[in-house]
Amino acid sequence: MPRTSDASLLNQEPYVKYRNIGMKFGDTEVMKGINFDILSGEKVAMIGPSGSGKTTLARMLMTLEKPTEGTIEIGGKLLWHRRANGKLVDANLKHLRQVRGQIGMVFQQYNLFPHMTILRNVMEAQVHVLGLTKKEAEDRARKILKKVGLEHKCDAYPAQLSGGQQQRVAMARAVVMKPKIMLFDEVTSALDPELVGEVLEVIREIAEEDEMAMLLITHEMAFARDIADRVVFMADGQIIEQGPPEQIFNYPQHQRTKNFLSRFSTEFH
Amino acid sequence: MDANMAIFNGLLKGLGVTLQVLIYSVLLALVLSFIIGFMSLSKWRIPRWSATLFIEVFRGTSLLVQLFWLYFSLPILGIRLPAMLVGVLGLGLNYGAYGAVVVRTSIRAVPKGQTEASIALNMSPYRRMRSVILPQAFLIMLPTFSNLTIELLKGTSLISLVTLADLTFQALALRSATMETTQIFIYLLIIYFIIAYPITLGFRWLEKKQSVGRG
Repeated sequence: MPRTSDASLLNQEPYVKYRNIGMKFGDTEVMKGINFDILSGEKVAMIGPSGSGKTTLARMLMTLEKPTEGTIEIGGKLLWHRRANGKLVDANLKHLRQVRGQIGMVFQQYNLFPHMTILRNVMEAQVHVLGLTKKEAEDRARKILKKVGLEHKCDAYPAQLSGGQQQRVAMARAVVMKPKIMLFDEVTSALDPELVGEVLEVIREIAEEDEMAMLLITHEMAFARDIADRVVFMADGQIIEQGPPEQIFNYPQHQRTKNFLSRFSTEFH
Repeated sequence: MDANMAIFNGLLKGLGVTLQVLIYSVLLALVLSFIIGFMSLSKWRIPRWSATLFIEVFRGTSLLVQLFWLYFSLPILGIRLPAMLVGVLGLGLNYGAYGAVVVRTSIRAVPKGQTEASIALNMSPYRRMRSVILPQAFLIMLPTFSNLTIELLKGTSLISLVTLADLTFQALALRSATMETTQIFIYLLIIYFIIAYPITLGFRWLEKKQSVGRG
């Protein structure tokens, strides 16, 4: 698949900019001074031990958790703040909704709406957020459900599907909103091993066909290596090291990265 | 047989009053449950505190005393309410307070992931509540609402003490007139059960309907 070249990495204005991000839970500082960019259309894989802050970074972008310090910009607009008389003030709901329309997210626990059919799960936000007619929303929903191989499950309810199927619906539900960037938060971690493949296959398809940027938090190293333009290694609330997958997986610079990857080493032989 | 018919007819007269009070006070309690329940979840302090005050006052004092107060004390302050209104208000406010707690806890019981998924789909807070949270919370509310409605039905017997001629009032009057204590109270039990059972069935049907597709 095409990879973003180094030249364009240098020249392109990033689509997402985390600046000096800090996060405190009570008195505990879990993250400090993080700067991190994502380019338009770039596929970024984020790896690292649990509790290293990967999910928190994604949740900040989805407006689920507010950073206690720093700013996030997306498409040139501040996400959590707005400028008033040259000062930064907290964004109101209207502003948040305007900016986060560009962002989509798929969760580890799928979070499908259990009281709606599969079709309605994929239609609901199209009708009530994008303002499409029911007819348009249904056409698009059926098309995308077909793409993830679940067109025959339109009238089923989430509880009647396997975990892998539910996660594919969750992806269809997010992708149909046409976000500019999609966040995948350990989307295969809750799945039985034999169901992981079908979900990764759908992500691969989306990645190959779609222009949108992706932030993929994962423990599937082989998959990350395969699909990502860039791999970011996080530990203890810090970005330890980042670069093209070949570099991170074959020639990691930092001891932390080496130690972490050695636990997965069998995967590469 | 004639005495039997007289007892039966007397009780039927009371049935109308009981049903009327039941229906109006269930409606009042339902509306209050949602209004006060939502207020208690507000991010602003004033509605939240008002809701807590309402709940604690009406839950924490006896329904009978509330009825007495509305019927016998308010007139001293110059407010005279008809007995029917006192019955409906007393029961509605009291069970509304219980219902508000049910609404609040049921909404809170919907898994956090549902809210997060709605935010990720950029739904407005109204849409999130309407499409995602409330339908799920409603299913959680139903069994408790079923209990409360039947409790309320049984609570209507207290309104006989503020002079409303409901089922229990008629039964007591018939008893002192005829002395057929056993018979009258057996009828009374059966009639209350005949009202209560369809309520249970109705709620069960609603619950079944609401839980379609839920594993």
